[in-house]
Amino acid sequence: MEVGQMQRQWLDYTRSLFIEGFLDGQFLQLEQLQDDNNPDFVVEVVSLFFQDSHKLLNDLTIALDQKSVDFKKIDAHVHQLKGSSSSIGAQRVKNCCIAFRNFCEEQNTDACLKCLHQVKQECCLVKNKLETLFRLEQQIMAAGGSIPMMELSF
Amino acid sequence: MATTKFRHVFGRLWGFATSCKKSSSSNPIGTRILQRDVEKEEFQFASTLCLSSYYSVFVVRLAIMVMLAILIGLLTILTWHFTKIYTTKSLNSLAYDLRYELLQRPILRMWNILNSTSEITIAQVKLSQYVIRSHGNLTTQEDQVEMYEAMRAVTWALFASRKALNSITVKYNNGFVQAFHRDIKDNNTFYIYSDLDNYSIGASGYNNSELNYSSLSSQESSWNDNDNKSTVWYRQPLDPVTGERIGKPMQIAPEDSIHIAGLSQVPDGVASWRVAVSKFTDSPLLSAALPVWDSSNKSIVAVVGVTTALYSVGQLMKELVELHSGHMYLTSLEGYLLATSTDAPLLDNSTQPPKLKMAVDCENEVIRLGAEYLRRSSGNKFPPSHEVHVANVRLGHDRYYIDSFFLNLKRLPLVGVIIIPRKHILGQVDERAFKTLVILISASMCIIVIGWVCILILTNGVSKEMKLRAELISQLEARRKAEASSNYKSQFLANMSHELRTPMAAIIGLLDILMSDDCLTNEQCATVTQIRKCSTALLRLLNNILDISKVESGKLVLEDAEFDLGRELEGLVDMFSVQCINHSVETVLDLSDDMPKLVRGDSARVVQIFANLINNSIKFTPSGHVILRGWFENPNPCSDSANFLMEEKKLQCAQKTRAKQYENHAKRTSERDKKAVLWFEVDDTGCGIDPSKWDSVFESFEQADPSTTRLHGGTGLGLCIVRSLVNKMGGEIKVVKKEGPGTLMQLYLRLDTAGDDTEQHCLVDIANNGLVVLLALHGNIGRSITSKWLQQNGVFTMEASEWNGLTQILRELFHTRSSSGTNNGFDVHYPIPESLKSRLLSIQEIRHPVFVIAVDIGLLDLSTDIWKEQLNFLHRYLGLAKFIWVLNHDTSNTIKLELRRKGYMMTVSKPLYKAKIVHILEEVIKERNHEMQKKNMDELHVHESDYTHCDAASSDDSDISESAPCNPVSSTEKFEQFDLLSRYRINNCLIGLTDEHSEVKTPRKEDSYQNNHNSPKSLSAEQAYFPREAHQGEDSESRGKEEHRIIRGLGRPANGKKSLEGLRILLAEDTPVIQRVATIMLEKMGASVVAVGDGQQAVDALNDMLGVEDFRRDSNLNERNTRSSSPQTEILSFPSYDLVLMDCQMPKMDGYEATKAIRKSEVGSGVHIPIVALTAHAMSCDEAKCLEVGMDAYLTKPIDFKLMESTILSLTRKTTS
Repeated sequence: MEVGQMQRQWLDYTRSLFIEGFLDGQFLQLEQLQDDNNPDFVVEVVSLFFQDSHKLLNDLTIALDQKSVDFKKIDAHVHQLKGSSSSIGAQRVKNCCIAFRNFCEEQNTDACLKCLHQVKQECCLVKNKLETLFRLEQQIMAAGGSIPMMELSF
Repeated sequence: MATTKFRHVFGRLWGFATSCKKSSSSNPIGTRILQRDVEKEEFQFASTLCLSSYYSVFVVRLAIMVMLAILIGLLTILTWHFTKIYTTKSLNSLAYDLRYELLQRPILRMWNILNSTSEITIAQVKLSQYVIRSHGNLTTQEDQVEMYEAMRAVTWALFASRKALNSITVKYNNGFVQAFHRDIKDNNTFYIYSDLDNYSIGASGYNNSELNYSSLSSQESSWNDNDNKSTVWYRQPLDPVTGERIGKPMQIAPEDSIHIAGLSQVPDGVASWRVAVSKFTDSPLLSAALPVWDSSNKSIVAVVGVTTALYSVGQLMKELVELHSGHMYLTSLEGYLLATSTDAPLLDNSTQPPKLKMAVDCENEVIRLGAEYLRRSSGNKFPPSHEVHVANVRLGHDRYYIDSFFLNLKRLPLVGVIIIPRKHILGQVDERAFKTLVILISASMCIIVIGWVCILILTNGVSKEMKLRAELISQLEARRKAEASSNYKSQFLANMSHELRTPMAAIIGLLDILMSDDCLTNEQCATVTQIRKCSTALLRLLNNILDISKVESGKLVLEDAEFDLGRELEGLVDMFSVQCINHSVETVLDLSDDMPKLVRGDSARVVQIFANLINNSIKFTPSGHVILRGWFENPNPCSDSANFLMEEKKLQCAQKTRAKQYENHAKRTSERDKKAVLWFEVDDTGCGIDPSKWDSVFESFEQADPSTTRLHGGTGLGLCIVRSLVNKMGGEIKVVKKEGPGTLMQLYLRLDTAGDDTEQHCLVDIANNGLVVLLALHGNIGRSITSKWLQQNGVFTMEASEWNGLTQILRELFHTRSSSGTNNGFDVHYPIPESLKSRLLSIQEIRHPVFVIAVDIGLLDLSTDIWKEQLNFLHRYLGLAKFIWVLNHDTSNTIKLELRRKGYMMTVSKPLYKAKIVHILEEVIKERNHEMQKKNMDELHVHESDYTHCDAASSDDSDISESAPCNPVSSTEKFEQFDLLSRYRINNCLIGLTDEHSEVKTPRKEDSYQNNHNSPKSLSAEQAYFPREAHQGEDSESRGKEEHRIIRGLGRPANGKKSLEGLRILLAEDTPVIQRVATIMLEKMGASVVAVGDGQQAVDALNDMLGVEDFRRDSNLNERNTRSSSPQTEILSFPSYDLVLMDCQMPKMDGYEATKAIRKSEVGSGVHIPIVALTAHAMSCDEAKCLEVGMDAYLTKPIDFKLMESTILSLTRKTTS
C-alpha cells in the first residue's frame, strides 16, 4: 500500500475514533508527548492502561460477586479506573466510570453490575480500536512513512 | 343532660350553616361577575376544606364534652344519693319508731279498757253469785226485794269505782233488770230498773233452762218476749258520787237509754265481747256480757253486762296525733270504725238504729283514703297478724306514712291504723333534698357549660394552631419542592450546557480543520467561517448559561488569588479596542492612580464582569467612546495631592516590590483582611437604557428593548451574570443617570488589597525630566484624559487632533527654536491660538527639553499615497524629537515597514493608556541617557523590540512579567513569548474557560488569517493559542499544517531552556498510566521526576532525603526518570524536591493524609514545599478540601499539559524567587 494512502487511512481512522467519542484530547496530548526519547510512549502507556484496567476489572468483578458488596472499595477501584482512562483519553470508558460511581453512591448492585459489564465492553472496544490504530502506525512506519500530525484539538 | 348536649350540637351546626350562608350571601353583588365567581369557588373550596377539618375537630370536642358531662353528672348524682339516702333511711327508722310508739299507746289504752271492763264484769258476776247464793231460796217478794237491794248496792259500788264504765246491767232470769248508766255528755248518772211487780218468783223457765240447755233458744225467746211485752222501766237520776237517789224515777221505755245485756249475749255461758252502739251516745261502746250461774252451776240466774265507752280512746288518739296533725283510727276486723283521732262521727245516723260506720265511709277524707288504700293493698279480708308499714303513700294531695297494727282480742280483734303526713317527718328533709338536688344540678350544669366553653376555646386554639402548623408544613414542603425543582433546573442547565460543550468543541475543531484546508473555494470558506462564528456564539451562550446556573446553584466558588487588576483591565481594553476599530468607537481606560495595584480575588471573574459590560457598551455604541473608569474608595483617605507622586511611583515600582511580597507571604496572610472598595464606571455614548428598565436589565433573559435581540443579538444573560458575580464579590451594580446620551453603569467591588501600604518608590521619575509630550491622537476623550494625567504628573503636554494641528505645533515648536524651517506643501499657516502660544512660550523655558511626539497613524491620510509625503515631512523632525507611532491593529504592513525603514522604532498599538505611556516615557528617558553616554546605534535595534512589545509586558501575566520591567534588555523571543501568553490568558479569561483553548483560538481567526503571512504582529497573536507547546522544545518533522509549523517554530526556546529545567518533582500517583503520562509530561518540560506509588512513600521520600535513592531503585517504573544530574547535590540541598504532585486517592495513605503529614513535618523548619493536588474530582468542594489540608494548587485529571506547566511554574517561581 502506498504510504500516503495509509497515512490518510490512519488520519480517517483516528478522526473517526474522536468523532465516535472513543478518544478525546488527552490522547492527542499523549501523542504529543511521544518523541525520540520515548518512541513507543503511547503504546507503552496504553498497554499499561490495559494491564491496569484488566486487574481493576477483575478486582471489581470479584468485589461485586461478594455477598455484602463493599461499595467503598468498588468506588475506589472505579475512581482509579476513571483516572487512568481519562489520562489516556479513553473517553467512553471514563464516562462509563462516572456512571458507575454514581451507582456506587446509590449502592445499587444491579446497576453496578450492568455498569461493570459496560465498562468491560468499552475497554474491549477501545482496546481493539487502539490495536488497529497501532497496527496501522506500525505499517506506516514499516513502509517508511511518518505518522501524520493530528490537529484535532479538543 | 343528653338533650341539652344535642341541642348544643345542633345549635352549633345550625350556627355554622347560617354563617356560611351569611358569608356566601354577603358577597357584594355589584362586583364583577368573574371576580365573584372566582371568589365563590375559592370560598366553596375553602368551606369544604374547613368543613371536613371542622367535623374532625367537632367530633373530638363533642367527645370531650360528653365525657365531662358524664363525669359531672355522676358526681352530682352520687353526692345527692349519699346525702339523701342515708338521711332518709335514718329518718325513716326514727319515724317508724315514732309511729309504732304512737300507735302502741291507744292500743294499750284500749287494752286497758278491755281489761278493766272484763275485770269489772267478772267482779260483778262473782258478787252477784255471792249475793244470789246468800239469799238462797227466794220465796217471798220481800226476799226478792232484799236481794235486789243488795245487788243494787253491790253493783253501784262497782259502777262508782270505775268512772270509765258506761253502764252495768244485771238482768235476772225472771226479767228483772237493774242497771246503772252514766251519761258522759251530761255527766248524769241514772239508775234504771224494771217494774218489780210484773215479775213472779216462780220461774218455770229457769227449770226449763236448767233442764235443757239445748233448748235455750226457746227459753231466750221467752225472755225476750217477756221483756218486750210486759216490762216497765224506770229511770231514776242518782248523785254520781254518792249514789243517792236525787230525783224521781221516770218511766221509760225498755231499752230506751241503754242496752241491757241479755241471755242472748251469753249463749254458751262464757263471756262475750262486742261493740255495741247505743242510741244515746254517738260513740261505739264496748260491751261485755257474762252469765251468773246459780250455786249449782247449772242454770243461769242472771246476766251481767258492762259497757264501756270507747270515747276515751278517741280522746287519747286525738291528743296523740294533735302534735303532728296525723290521723289514727281503730277498726274492728270487719273494718268498722271504733275510734278515730278526729271528730268525725263514728255512727251512721242515717239508719235507725244507728250503725257503726265502715272506715272507708268515714267522713274524714284522710282516714277514708287511708282505709281505701289499705283495703286495696291487702284486700278486703284483713289477714290476722298482718301489719302494714308503708311510707310515702299519696292520699289526696299529700304524702303520708301508713302503718297498721293488729290487736288480737278474743272475739274482738282490732286493727289500728296510723296515718302521719310525710311532711311532718320528712318535710324539711324532702325540701332540702329537693333544694340540694336543684342546686347540685344547676351547679353541675354551670360547670359543664363553663367546661364546654373552656374546651371550645382551648380546642379552638389548638385546632387553629394545628391548622397553621399543617399549613406551615405544607408550605415548607412546597418550598422544598420548589427549591429542589429550581436546583434540578440549574443542575439540568449545567449538565446540558456541559454536555453540549463537548460536541460544540468538536464542531469548532472540525471547522478549524476545514478552514485550514486550502482546497476550499471562497464561498465555502465564507460559509465555514460563518458556521464557525455561529458555533462560537453558541458556545458563548452555553458558557453563560453554565455560569448562571453555577451562580444560582451556589457552586460558583471564587478563586482567591493575587492578581494585577490594572494589567487585566488593560488587556481587556486592548482586546476590545480591536473590536471597536470597525465601529469608530474609542475605548478608553481611565484608572485613577490610587487604585491598588495588586488585589486578591478571582481575576477571571473580574475580567468577565468588565468584558461583559464593555461588550454590551460596544454593542450598543455605534460611535463615540466607551470609558472604563476606576477609582479607589479609601476608608480613611489621606490627602491626595501630597500622595500623588508617591502613588505614581508606587504604581511603577509595583513589580519590584512584588518579589518582596512573596517573601512576606506568610506575614501578609494575617494582614490581608483589609477589604478595599473599588469603584468602576462603564460609560458609553450608545443608545442608553430607559430609566424604567434600569433594574430589570440585570434579570436573566432581560433586555432593555425587545428589538435588541434582532438588532444586536445576545440573550440578555450577560448583565445577569455580571450582577451575580458583582454581588458575589460583595459589590453592587446599578445604572446611574448620565448627562448626555448613553449609559453609565456604576459598580463597586470589595476586594482584598494585597499590596503593602509601605511600597517603595523605585521608579524612574517621569516628571522633572524636561519631557514635553505632544499628543497627536485621534480620539478626543482618550487624548484629553491622557494629557490631563500627564500634566498632573508634571509632564508638559500639547494636543493635536488632526494633521494640520500637528504640523502647526511642530512648526511652532521647532521653527521657533531653530528658526530655520523649510516650507513644505503640508504646512498651511493657521492662526495659532493664544493658549497654544503661551504654552509654546512656557516650553521654551524648559531646559534641555525632550520632545516626545505620539502620532496616531490615523492622522495620516492612508487612503491615498499622501501618507508617504506626510512621513517625509515628519522625518525632518526625527532628530529633534522622539516619535512614537500609535498604530491601529489593522495598520497595513507596508506602513509598518516604511516606518521601520525610516527609523521610527517606537511603535505602540492603540489604545494608549497609562501603563503604555509610562513605559514609553521611561524608555525615552533611558534612551536619552544612553545617547548621552554615546552608546552605539546597534542597541536601538534591541530597544525596538522592547518598545514594540512594551504593551505586552504591561498586560502580561503577573508571574512571568516580573522580570520584564527590570530587565528590559532581554531576548526578543522572550518578550514575544510573554505577549503570546498574555493574549492567551486574556482571551481565555474572557471566554470564562481555562481549559479549552481551542475556543479561544477562533474568535480572532479571521483577522489573523488576513494578515497571516505578512504581519508578524498578527502572527504572534495567532501563536498565542499554543504558547506552551513551545516548551516541548521538539522540532519534530513537519506535520503537514502550517499552523503547527508556526507554533513549533516559535515555540522553540531561544536559549534552549525548557520551562521546568532543573526542577525536581516528586510525583505521588498510584495509577501506573497516569504516573507514566505525568512523568513524561514533566520530563518534556525539563523537570526530573521521582514517582512513588502512594502517599506513605511520598511522605517518606520527603522526610528521609537520604532514602531518595532507594526509592528510586525500588520503583520499577522510574528507571528512566532518574535522569537528574547529581543526586548528591540534591540531597545536600534541602529540600531536594521543588514540588510535589499528589494524587488524592491512593492506597495506604491518600493525598490528603500525606499532605497533612508533610505539612506537619514542615512545622518549625520554615520550609514550604509546594504540593499540587491531582484529582479526578472536578468539584470545587474538592478543591476547597485540597487547599484546606495544605495543598497549594489543584489540577484535575486528565492532566492538562499547559495548565500543569503554568501551575508548577507559578508555584516554583514563588518559592525560588
